[in-house]
Amino acid sequence: MNLNYEHLPVIIVALLLLAAFLEPIVYRHKKSWAAPLVIASMAFFALSSLYLMAAVNYHGPFNYYLGGWAPPFGIELEIDYLAVFLLLTFSVIGLIAIVYGLQDLKHGLKDEVLGWYFTLYLLLMASMAGISVTNDLFNMYVFVEISAISACAIISIKESRECIEASLKYLILSTLGSGCILLATAMLYMITGHLNIGYLNDVLPRVMSHYPNNILISLGFFVVGYGVKAALFPLHVWLPDAHTAAPSPSSAVLSGLVIKVYAAAFLKVFLKAYPREIFLEIPVMEIVLFLSVLAILYGSIVAMVQEDIKKMLAYSSIAQIGYVFLGFSLMGQRAVAGGLLHIFNHAMMKSMLFLAAGIIIYSTGIRRIRDMKGLGVKLPLTMGAFTIGALSMVGIPGTNGFISKWQLALGALDLGRPIIVVVILLSSLLNCLYYMPIVINAFFGVKGEPELEIGKVPGVMLYSILFLGFGIIFFGIYPAPLLAFLQKTVTAIL
Amino acid sequence: MEDLLVRIICRLVVPFVQLYGLYVITHGHLSPGGGFAGGAIVGASMILFALAFNLEAGSRKLSHDISLLMESGGAIGFILAGFVAMLLGQNFLTNKAAGFPLGVPGNLFSSGAIFFFSVAIGFKVGSTMCTLFYNLIEGSDRHRSSE
Repeated sequence: MNLNYEHLPVIIVALLLLAAFLEPIVYRHKKSWAAPLVIASMAFFALSSLYLMAAVNYHGPFNYYLGGWAPPFGIELEIDYLAVFLLLTFSVIGLIAIVYGLQDLKHGLKDEVLGWYFTLYLLLMASMAGISVTNDLFNMYVFVEISAISACAIISIKESRECIEASLKYLILSTLGSGCILLATAMLYMITGHLNIGYLNDVLPRVMSHYPNNILISLGFFVVGYGVKAALFPLHVWLPDAHTAAPSPSSAVLSGLVIKVYAAAFLKVFLKAYPREIFLEIPVMEIVLFLSVLAILYGSIVAMVQEDIKKMLAYSSIAQIGYVFLGFSLMGQRAVAGGLLHIFNHAMMKSMLFLAAGIIIYSTGIRRIRDMKGLGVKLPLTMGAFTIGALSMVGIPGTNGFISKWQLALGALDLGRPIIVVVILLSSLLNCLYYMPIVINAFFGVKGEPELEIGKVPGVMLYSILFLGFGIIFFGIYPAPLLAFLQKTVTAIL
Repeated sequence: MEDLLVRIICRLVVPFVQLYGLYVITHGHLSPGGGFAGGAIVGASMILFALAFNLEAGSRKLSHDISLLMESGGAIGFILAGFVAMLLGQNFLTNKAAGFPLGVPGNLFSSGAIFFFSVAIGFKVGSTMCTLFYNLIEGSDRHRSSE
């Protein structure tokens, strides 16, 4: 028996799936074991991601052939710097969100669906881990479908009117997106005969001049498919409703992680599968860049007029996913590193903000921003964490939001595009316009209404957001190891 | 709706449909079909039974607990069969190289681990079809009674 660390990526995915299918049986027969099982599997996911990151950092990237069949015939997993970076982001944020969620979900969900919620959550995590490690386009499509369906079920789990409406909207649009991705994959398979990303990259330069239509169609469909799923600007219409309707821990995961995984898949397909010359002839990345600039401005402007705090955070996500795509579509070393860093940073900030909003809703029932005057006195730690998140969203130095915006701005300047820096600056000011009033009102606002009823905040919920708040400050002050790791990641991709 | 003809024909047909479904599952590596197609046939036979008789009779034959167990068990079995190869020192889902005996080509047991995978998929698909059908029927019942 020889179990070395190279088996770990597939063990992660398989074990998460195993736990997901075990969960309904456990919940039916031994209810008290269900929650520890979720926590244990997520903790295993986080620890093994950490170990994989150390191993890859030390020994270098490696490939894994499922069933012992080498590509082009078999499915290949490629565990490179990008994959372990994504795995670590997803697992740590996912673990914190579910630890928090155990308290919040008992409050918000009906008892009989709690077991199904755990199943869906683990399926979502397994599919995101799968998308991160796979090096095969069709395998990636399968995981994209799993994550779309489980995300959709997570949104609709409360069975209220707006949840069903939001999840139906998401189901229709994300199915369209999946169809686009499948069709684009088929177009590439048609002309190359490969699904493996490495082989595609080898073969495409030789065949692309013979089949320009296939290349054009596949590029368009991939942009639309992953754009719908990641809520890139004109294709974002499902996001605000879906992320508002879901329970708070799910909103944190959906907004912090699930839209990011599609952005990462976009990066894998466009920068690893397609040869670079294509983008000189077909300006697809310029189009994505334009859309992401529009997303940054549109998301911030629309977020300003929202009354519901979760809806405001959801619109802010549209703007922030714009930053990620901005970095990717610039295709420069530092820009892509900035985009990747923003995946990590925004996952921390946005999940913390959603969890803090969840605490506010849990203990006071307030959802409207206008009613939050004077809340800072009642919930000092929660609003303190919210303030850290808001400062990080705006990009104040000392928080991690500043580091990724700085990297993106430097990346844009490297490529001689100062106008992007103006957009980033403008959007930071816009962020300031809608985040700061909440903070100022909470701490200095005078409440005119009668005293608020404040329920007790469970310690676990508070500690999880404080932990994330600490992470925001930590990576804002000491980003050097992360930046060095991302430098290696980007050098391997570009 | 009570119809004697439908019930008698259904009683006659269901065992054959199920036998055919099991045949398709177990001969997945030899003939067209496999776990998914065979499982769908077995599931369809249960749906046919529940349609011809009624929901109570159908769920007495295959209770919620059992179908839940089969559904999860199919998926778990598939993953565990994949792990066996890993314990034998090979990659996940490896078949012959991990030491599963292949047997004589053309025989029933001539595919090593694929036989187990087919059976697991068959269990999963068959019970999922039933569960989906029951959920649709019971869901509409529940909503009607609540209005």
